[in-house]
Amino acid sequence: MAIVGSRRPSPYGEAVAEQLAADLARAGVIVISGLALGIDAAAHRGALVAGGVTVAVMGTGVDIVYPAAHSRLAEEILAAGGALVSQFPDGTAPRRHNFPARNWTMAALSDAVVVVEAAERSGALITAEAALDLHKEVMAVPGSVFSPLSVGTHCLIRDGAALVQNARDVLAALGATQEVLDDPLAPPPSLGVSLPRGRDGILSHLSDVLALNAAEIARKLQLPVSEVLGRLTALELDGAVRRHEDGYVRALRNGQKRA
Amino acid sequence: MFGSVQSCLLVGFDVRTVEVQADIAHGEVKFFLVGLAATSVKEARERVRSAIKNSGLEFPGQRLTVNLAPAELRKEGSALDLPIAVAIALARAGKRPPPHTAFMGELALDGSVRHVDGILVAARGLRMLGFERLFVPAADAAEASLVDGLAVTPCATLKGVVDHLLGIAAIEPYVSGGSEAMSDPGLWEHDLAEVHGQEEGRRALEIAAAGGHHLLLSGPPGAGKTMLARCLPGILPPLELDEALEVAQVRSLLGELQGRGPLDWTRPFRAPHHGVSMAGLIGGGSGLAQPGEISRAHHGVLFLDELAEFQAPVLQALRQPLETGRVAITRSAGSVSYPARFTLVAATNPCPCGWAGDSIRSCRCTPGGIDSYQRRLSGPLLDRIDLKVGVRRVKLETLASEPTGEGSAPVRARVVAARRRQLDRQDCLNCQLKPARLRKLAGLEPASRRALERWSEQKGLTARGFHRAWRVARTAADLEGSDHIGENHILEALGYRLQDIAA
Repeated sequence: MAIVGSRRPSPYGEAVAEQLAADLARAGVIVISGLALGIDAAAHRGALVAGGVTVAVMGTGVDIVYPAAHSRLAEEILAAGGALVSQFPDGTAPRRHNFPARNWTMAALSDAVVVVEAAERSGALITAEAALDLHKEVMAVPGSVFSPLSVGTHCLIRDGAALVQNARDVLAALGATQEVLDDPLAPPPSLGVSLPRGRDGILSHLSDVLALNAAEIARKLQLPVSEVLGRLTALELDGAVRRHEDGYVRALRNGQKRA
Repeated sequence: MFGSVQSCLLVGFDVRTVEVQADIAHGEVKFFLVGLAATSVKEARERVRSAIKNSGLEFPGQRLTVNLAPAELRKEGSALDLPIAVAIALARAGKRPPPHTAFMGELALDGSVRHVDGILVAARGLRMLGFERLFVPAADAAEASLVDGLAVTPCATLKGVVDHLLGIAAIEPYVSGGSEAMSDPGLWEHDLAEVHGQEEGRRALEIAAAGGHHLLLSGPPGAGKTMLARCLPGILPPLELDEALEVAQVRSLLGELQGRGPLDWTRPFRAPHHGVSMAGLIGGGSGLAQPGEISRAHHGVLFLDELAEFQAPVLQALRQPLETGRVAITRSAGSVSYPARFTLVAATNPCPCGWAGDSIRSCRCTPGGIDSYQRRLSGPLLDRIDLKVGVRRVKLETLASEPTGEGSAPVRARVVAARRRQLDRQDCLNCQLKPARLRKLAGLEPASRRALERWSEQKGLTARGFHRAWRVARTAADLEGSDHIGENHILEALGYRLQDIAA
């Protein structure tokens, strides 16, 4: 199962990719992606969090991790029993024209491709195209109609790609009969992390999708920003929220504990 | 016939005494100047000869030798003109100068005494070396009189000085107007009351001001980063006496103190453009290095707008002063060290186009572009920054309404109180606490320690980052008037470490 998408996703896309990968991995699916920034990394990470096996199909030689910042991720993939795969000889440096070929390989290795957030001319669409040529299933996760990152995915859906809301949709398309773990439309029974009292007031104000900064939350709660910032840090340490450059979102990662 | 007087030379902030000896002997009429004099000092011969003649004094028509001791020290500048002329006059008269007295000043051809740079630095240094009286150009008397325990004689003309020394007509000692009590400048160009929203940025600014921590503001263009930074001087307390003198010393070296009245108590705020050269920012120039922007910002604020646009080597050179509060510059003419204990406030866009992470406008940069842009702010530099805060654009409808935030005055009161606590406890600001003293003076409760350790582990903090977060927490506690660093203080401090958030 390949999960691909934008190298610069929104917090929403990243969260979806991670959650989807985690749930699929838990169902025994091997998650394939391209070790790139953004959606690719989120997919690998999600699979790892769920203790699953994930395969990175690289556009460089297997001895060169690109981007270099992902060398730790690559090590974790190997440590978890996954693999780094490349069609290029050792020592091949990142070259623009190698990546479309890599995308093709990724499609060939998978039974289906899920696209999460792709702008108009995203490389992820090459993977989708390749999958169609190879008669593999192509699926896409819808996004906000305001976001340029939804253009590619919505286009795929319009052209007949299956719409993916959760891992259940993906498994159904794969013909798996397994009952699935997590339905994002159902209210979560609990957040999965035990939160000290007094902190949960903040969580309910946070979104999974839109980053809010401490000042905005403080304004909503009528609390001093220093206190809110401290509480957010505590939540971040517990893994309940995640911080981005422009603010905080609720972390979906604890689906792991929810299941 | 022999005469000698004391003078001094400046090597950066160091003062070296120079003895100027004059000997008049029988022989061919000639004027020798020896003792490793650079060109600017060799020229003194011509100035001194004319000045003596035009003052109505007699230039010795014999063999004249002037020696500048110690001979191994290279002499530069024009401040030795007056001491040379005085030594010659005393040699002729067979007189000795008063004890513990030094002379400085440049001579004009007509015998008047002209300004020289660095009088304040010299005066402080000479006082520490045990000098009690200093003859300075009249223009610089106010500057010299800032030093306690040093009698200042203002010199208008060479004739006046010689008459004074020979007991013909005394010069009135300079009486300073007294260093005014710390006057509160009161009005600042920018007040926090004008800032819309930005609660997080304001709070970070307050912490930076209270503990002397370095702050980086990151956000899209027009979000108000510059506005916030410019509010910082208005929430800082005025300089202490020692600090004011050190600030004035830097200005004195640069010749900027001339004609200024009493001490300036306002903290410096320097905002060099991002095109600034290494020499301009750090210090440099030909010969002995001159102080740069970082030394002009000593005890004040150095504001670097568009941090990522500065040349990389220039930013790298900031690392040493950020850590030690001093900068050492070596040139062929010698090595000097200047103070540079400033609070760094920097602003940067998140990406080249500036709009990454903005809620409305989308960013047009490639991931590689963003990566290389952010990589210009090297890890080691970011590691020396205590607080990194994201600044978001304020919604337009808010901009039209009256801002509701606190003004600078109450914030300043809290900052002053927090600084007082620090100085009473440890005699320095929290940002200067060494790890050993930090452990002693800012012990962590188990819960606080655990939070800090968990964060370090999760984010891979360096030892330096670990201690910086700890110091910020100490300041947050000081702002609250608390002796103990609570878990909430640590957690808040960690909340200002946006630099730890990996992509």
